[in-house]
Amino acid sequence: MISSSSSSSAPSSSSASASRIKLRPGPPTQARNKWRTGAQERIYGRRLVEALRSSRAGRSAAAGGARAVKEAADSALALTARGQSRWSRAILFGRFRRRKLLLKAGGKVRRRRRARPAGKFAALPHPPAALKGKKVRDRLRVLARLVPGCRKLSAPSLLEEAADYLAALEMQVKAMRTLADALSAAALSPPSPPPPAAAAPEPEN
Amino acid sequence: MSSRRTRSRQSSSSRISEEQINDLVSKLEALLPEASIRSNSSASAARVLQDTCNYIRSLHREVDDLSERLSELLATTDTTSAQAAIIRSLLM
Repeated sequence: MISSSSSSSAPSSSSASASRIKLRPGPPTQARNKWRTGAQERIYGRRLVEALRSSRAGRSAAAGGARAVKEAADSALALTARGQSRWSRAILFGRFRRRKLLLKAGGKVRRRRRARPAGKFAALPHPPAALKGKKVRDRLRVLARLVPGCRKLSAPSLLEEAADYLAALEMQVKAMRTLADALSAAALSPPSPPPPAAAAPEPEN
Repeated sequence: MSSRRTRSRQSSSSRISEEQINDLVSKLEALLPEASIRSNSSASAARVLQDTCNYIRSLHREVDDLSERLSELLATTDTTSAQAAIIRSLLM
């Protein structure tokens, strides 16, 4: 693996501080490529279906049905991430508050070296020049609210998590849309027209 | 503006190098759907962050809509053999 491109420039002072950022080496589009593979989508699709089936068996899809579906979809997404990113762990911990589910994910969950509250690193008071300015800091805060489990992250970790989360969300939307289209096409004998949800931007490759 | 050389020198301790940040920001920018429309020069960090937030929000909304749709679909039709066949064909 190449460790030259963008990793932190101080491998000497390893352990605590420098390795906190531990940027993954590789091209900038790595996050997207990881989620774009057909294999990931199939894995996710399988988990999604399992989750949907089990949630359906428990309760009938009443008014809360949509929320159950969304939660199942999010949990399936987090599982597919195999707990390697903070947002996925946040989703799983939030739902089940147990590590049992993570163990179920095949024991492939890798914990980052530092504990969850990242308070010591709070880069917001001392951002580098590119990230100074109130505007940027505000937007970072908004972003931290959107990505689950990232409220206290430092700027670079937050950016990395956001990139991964974004790519994962794109895959989730794609998979759910495929499933919904296929199901609705089957449910009615004449193929149903595509829903207005298609107005959303399609991610370019 | 980037005369913060001192910061990058201390990147070993707790400073984050500007390069890293710019790299991450451009990584995010590449993920956004309008990346091709924008000019080749990189957008400002604030702009990228705003677009990212908006995009994530719109994706959330799409997920919600799709969840609605899926829950209706799953409610109205029981798991017929046709459904199971479709699901299987999608996953294989």
